[in-house]
Amino acid sequence: MFYKASKTLSAALLAGTFLSGAAIAEPVTIRMVLKDFISTNPNSVAHVERIEAALAEQGHEIDIEIVDLPASGYADALGIMLLSGDLPDLIYFQGGDRKIADQNVLEDWRPWIAETEHLKGALYPHNEARLDNYPYLMHVFPLRAQQPVIRTDWLEATGLSAPATVDEYTALLTAIRDNDLDGDGENNTFGTTAGGSLKELNGYLNPAFGITATWLEDGSGSWIHSQISAQERDKLAYYSQLYAEGLLDPEYITINWEAKEDRFYTGRVGVVSASRPSNVVVYQTKMNTVHPNTTLTLLDPPAGPGGQGLLAVDVSKEGRGWAMSALSENKEAVATLLDFMASPEGQFMEQFGLEGIHHVINGDQVEVLPDLGSWESPFMISASWTPPVELFPAPARQYLQNTQDHFLPDNAFAFPSELAAAVDATTNIYNEWAFKFVSGTASFDQWGEYVEAWKAAGGDSLIDHASQVLQ
Amino acid sequence: MNQKFENLQQSFRRWWPFYVMLAPGLLFYLVYHYLPIWEARLAFQDVRIIPPNIWVGTKHFVALASSPVFLQVLMNTIVISAMKLVFIFPVPILVALLLNEVRSANYRKFVQSVIYLPHYLSWVVIAGITVATLSPSDGAVNEVIGLMGFDPIPFMTDTGSIRWVLVFSEMWRSAGWDSLIYFAAIVGISQELYEAAEMDGAGRWQKIWFVTIPGIAPTIATLFILNVGLFLSQGFDQVINLSNDVVRSHIDIVDTYVYRIGLQTGEFALATAAGLFKGVIGMILIISAHTISKRLTGKGVW
Repeated sequence: MFYKASKTLSAALLAGTFLSGAAIAEPVTIRMVLKDFISTNPNSVAHVERIEAALAEQGHEIDIEIVDLPASGYADALGIMLLSGDLPDLIYFQGGDRKIADQNVLEDWRPWIAETEHLKGALYPHNEARLDNYPYLMHVFPLRAQQPVIRTDWLEATGLSAPATVDEYTALLTAIRDNDLDGDGENNTFGTTAGGSLKELNGYLNPAFGITATWLEDGSGSWIHSQISAQERDKLAYYSQLYAEGLLDPEYITINWEAKEDRFYTGRVGVVSASRPSNVVVYQTKMNTVHPNTTLTLLDPPAGPGGQGLLAVDVSKEGRGWAMSALSENKEAVATLLDFMASPEGQFMEQFGLEGIHHVINGDQVEVLPDLGSWESPFMISASWTPPVELFPAPARQYLQNTQDHFLPDNAFAFPSELAAAVDATTNIYNEWAFKFVSGTASFDQWGEYVEAWKAAGGDSLIDHASQVLQ
Repeated sequence: MNQKFENLQQSFRRWWPFYVMLAPGLLFYLVYHYLPIWEARLAFQDVRIIPPNIWVGTKHFVALASSPVFLQVLMNTIVISAMKLVFIFPVPILVALLLNEVRSANYRKFVQSVIYLPHYLSWVVIAGITVATLSPSDGAVNEVIGLMGFDPIPFMTDTGSIRWVLVFSEMWRSAGWDSLIYFAAIVGISQELYEAAEMDGAGRWQKIWFVTIPGIAPTIATLFILNVGLFLSQGFDQVINLSNDVVRSHIDIVDTYVYRIGLQTGEFALATAAGLFKGVIGMILIISAHTISKRLTGKGVW
């Protein structure tokens, strides 16, 4: 009797809950701003509409309003919009977020993520570390890292296997230089190049020389910046050797990313670096337009005297990503939206683009169309969802695997704004001297002079601050 | 007072189509140049998304001046501005004088079209052309240098050359377009003056020296003074696009520095302080140049 009465009561309560829920199911409007995601782009609008429809099917009446900002100068335009008092519910930052977070108008993601069904499992290890240090920005995408790629036919033509050590890497670059692999009758191909700075080479060579963090402990137990460390000097000496022997493109410092790509496709350099898996796909596609049926090989980071790996990952905060306005009246709806995007249905939409444009579905089979290469997932790529078909070619998958295998958290931290000028000045000093050392216009006997200049430009203040923070 | 008002009314009734044509321009300056002056108070505040902003006095100016490299950045700006003023300012005048001497109208129009074109190119494109042209390995300039038996010069990474790259690339881009004003001023000189000079036996050079140049002197003075006013605003786009890690410390100007330290990190108050600093210096320079010009030549901007 009691059981029957309680069951009836429970059913009545449940029905009442749903009925009242239906009665108050007023559509909630979320305003969101994202780079390259604008209301005049039919793909963006179509993506939003199907998300709204899918959410509605689940009982969530959420309208998504796209706030249009120009792609060019997005970060500046966003900063001005926010400081004028216009805070959308969901904001994509590309820098400049700390100043906004300092005003307590960005929401701590962690309690919201903890309540979600799918989003909490979608995070990568680096996301979790970054959220612990700075909980206002979330960027659920695979790690970005610089990793070297080479044409597979060129690697085979050198007769060498993929290099495992720095010496083997040097041997590969030498073979590229000496074997006229582009067939123009001259040995004029450089081993490698970079798009405007040494960051691309550092991405996979820093750990080989023992640069495993931004701040390193010297022999006396004090902290020093890696830019003025003995390990850095050894690495620059190696780059200098590559430069002097014609293995490193001498114009690496003045060319941009596009020029770097052009040199790769036209056979002027043999090895370039990719900064994310989609880069590998783009390289492959463009290479095939010049040299049909050419595949690429992703090279593992070579091992050196200091170890092996990829550049240590800054986990002090996300450099870019989504923030939720603390002033938003629709926080639950925002969390619901992101949780849906992390769900299998949302991930299919995110990673396979629009049906008919980026993929087609034949029965149970998904066929990826060539235009998928132009699709950028706007919200996230979950760490825990496996696509029904492979989205990336083998080298891009290897890229993803390497970022996980070689994940190394950095000890970098954000400096207070009073030290921003010192960071800028020391970075400029480092960049200038690094090229001088590499190009041979400065001798390594002048290393002490460089270190003094670095410290005088504000480096001493940075070291003092770091010593306190890292203690 | 009433008389003045009536005169104004009469003037408006008579010339109203011109006032109407002037209105959009006035509105533009009002909205984009005069109203923002009031917002320059941000330079003295910490901006808050939730009002009110916090008044911090000269904090941002002190932060700017106490930066370890601000003096270097300011010196870069002054040196690059002075180089541009000295070496670029006379070039459009020379171009206009030369164009005026071309007798074939068709050829003159062709030359004008060609030299105006670079003005329409963005600095992104010009930077690409410049880097390619000056490349030490296969750039046209270094090929010529090589033919003369010299070693190639890495212009883009040589701290001694990079400021000249800024000067000459700016000259290439703007000399043709800027000559337009001088050429218009030359066209406005009365032909009777040239005929009188001819009757006095003046040759080509003498006509240029004694008729043309004095005829465009007020235009030269006005543009020089206006250029002086823009002394600290030297080509943000140009420097950003032609800069690289090696030469940044030699061509980092106030605008690019503030962009990195201020705008990219969301320090808008600091950026406003720098803008106000530049504006005040520019105003002082304009008034000084105007006063000096008035005393020396009797001509100024107003």
